[in-house]
Amino acid sequence: MKCGVKFCGGCNPHYQRGDAFRRIQADMPEIEFEYAEEGTDYDHLLVIGGCTACCPIIDQYTVNGDVLKMWSEDHVDIIEEKLEEKLK
Amino acid sequence: MLMTGEQYIESLRKLNTRVYMFGEKVDNWVDHPIIRPSINCVKVTYDLAQDPEYKDLMTVKSNLTGETVNRFAHLHQSTEDLKNKVKMQRLCGQKTGSCFQRCVGMDAFNAMFSSTYEIDKKYGTNYHENFKNFLIQVQQNDWVVDGAMTDPKGDRGLAPHAQRDKDLFVRIKERREDGIVVCGAKCHQTGSINSHWHIVMPTQAMREEDADYAVAFACPSDADGMYMVYGRQSCDTRKLEEGADIDLGNAQFGGQEALVVFDDVFIPNEYIFLAGEYEFAGMVVERFAGYHRQSYGGCKVGVGDVLIGAAALAAEYNGAQKASHVKDKLIEMTHLNETLYCCGIACSTEGYPTEAGNYQIDLLLANVCKQNITRFPYEIVRLAEDIAGGLMVTMPSQKDFDSDLAVGRNGETIGEICNKFYAAAPSCTTEQRMRVLRLIENLCLGAAAVGYRTESMHGAGSPQAQRIMIQRQGNIEGKKALAKAIAGIKE
Ligand SMILES: Cc1cc2nc3c(=O)[nH]c(=O)nc-3n(C[C@H](O)[C@H](O)[C@H](O)COP(=O)(O)OP(=O)(O)OC[C@H]3O[C@@H](n4cnc5c(N)ncnc54)[C@H](O)[C@@H]3O)c2cc1C
Ligand code: SF4
Repeated sequence: MKCGVKFCGGCNPHYQRGDAFRRIQADMPEIEFEYAEEGTDYDHLLVIGGCTACCPIIDQYTVNGDVLKMWSEDHVDIIEEKLEEKLK
Repeated sequence: MLMTGEQYIESLRKLNTRVYMFGEKVDNWVDHPIIRPSINCVKVTYDLAQDPEYKDLMTVKSNLTGETVNRFAHLHQSTEDLKNKVKMQRLCGQKTGSCFQRCVGMDAFNAMFSSTYEIDKKYGTNYHENFKNFLIQVQQNDWVVDGAMTDPKGDRGLAPHAQRDKDLFVRIKERREDGIVVCGAKCHQTGSINSHWHIVMPTQAMREEDADYAVAFACPSDADGMYMVYGRQSCDTRKLEEGADIDLGNAQFGGQEALVVFDDVFIPNEYIFLAGEYEFAGMVVERFAGYHRQSYGGCKVGVGDVLIGAAALAAEYNGAQKASHVKDKLIEMTHLNETLYCCGIACSTEGYPTEAGNYQIDLLLANVCKQNITRFPYEIVRLAEDIAGGLMVTMPSQKDFDSDLAVGRNGETIGEICNKFYAAAPSCTTEQRMRVLRLIENLCLGAAAVGYRTESMHGAGSPQAQRIMIQRQGNIEGKKALAKAIAGIKE
């Protein structure tokens, strides 16, 4: 499963977004994560915002499945559960 | 094409920019210890643009070329773009704790793009095309450009043409078939030495007698006849001391200002954006100042974030973090800082398209933003100094803390004595405490105070300049009508 990853610009993030992503990546080695690029097809897209605004624009990406958004460290587990579901 | 941070530094080495400091020519200014932190600071704007965690803010698709460009070289295409600009500036302030210098150019691009369009419409000139072509070069080469507006101005009570010395405002000295020769100088130029090019703009509205002073153009920073005299900053020579990293407070980053002199510099026609159409000088100033007053609602907020964090750490290291007045002071600092951010976001949200198509901020709100900037950082600094305690200005040097010179009765070294008497809460080492206090010193009254305090006061115009704009934009007549309607006053 190929999952695109889109970080917000990080103007004032309330947690370490990179660390949170690396945790998800480490916990789910069976998923192929890559930084989202235009023109590439993704099964799902993980959007990592720094705060509740979770503001990245994502219209430009091709996502066949779902867009999963997170904006807090507390969301790591929820995202992992959702991704786990998708793997089934 | 986007440059990496390293490529940016290498690109500076290729320039022949003439730089003078302490009465001498500086040949290798890229590696000069006083200048280098300011270059590192600009480099951050390149590094972040390469980083997936930040490129959503730092890069954007150019409306001119369709290519991905650094947002610092972008023409704002929407209110979203205007907000992202402010967010990007906050981010850069957070990462550097300094003035990162690249905003003046971005603000000049946006002001000149829309102004040249309107000048051409009236006069049939070719300035807008000239400007667009120049900006495409900037975007394609990922250049840093200095936005040079402020003239020396001599006697503030006199117009440019009436000054005793004609060079106190940049002026057209000679008009030729293929271009113009300019002379004069620009003061306080942020990041000028670290810039590949300069955009020069008039400093104030002009009248007919001052037509030769109504001039805007672009030129490379190493143009023939151009040179720069480096501006001193408080505590700058600490950067020359060996083993004084901690004493610097911020060893890696810093700001930069210089006097930029135009000693008969030739500007070819294709780089001229205004040359005598004096009634447009005021438009350029108003637009550039408007954007720049918005900018401070981002960059100063980012630096404020660093200072608030440092104050909170100092309180912790002092063991005073639980005191209610300390907590309250941190709340107040945050409140002030976020109020500034609100202003930056508000004037962006209320932005609107210019005739040329790029977006302009709401002028009233941008001026309110900057007016608050002339005050709140001073209060934030006051509170930081309160929390930090006197040690931030009385602490011995790093050399003392490192010294193994025995001075005590029992052979204690100066280092041991300093460490003994400056130890505080067990949560920190003496060195950590020293580091954070020096950072506070740096921001409140050291080298970074140039950017955080005095630039907040005068940069983008002194407070009175905003009050004039607030008066003009404030719609007092409309407010009077509201009051009359409610009070039942009929004409
Ligand atoms: C750190 C820093 C960075 C800067 N960076 C840049 C930059 O990158 N590019 C750029 O172009 N500029 C830059 N500036 C310049 C900034 O825009 C000017 O400092 C500002 O416009 C004020 O001009 P001044 O410093 O000459 O002050 P002055 O004009 O000397 O003003 C001092 C006081 O006199 C008052 N005053 C001045 N003239 C009059 C008058 N005619 N009538 C009544 N009162 C008057 C002012 O309101 C103010 O209170 C920077 C300034 C600073 C401090
Ligand atoms: S999600 Fe929050 S932190 Fe990230 S860029 Fe948007 S507003 Fe800033």
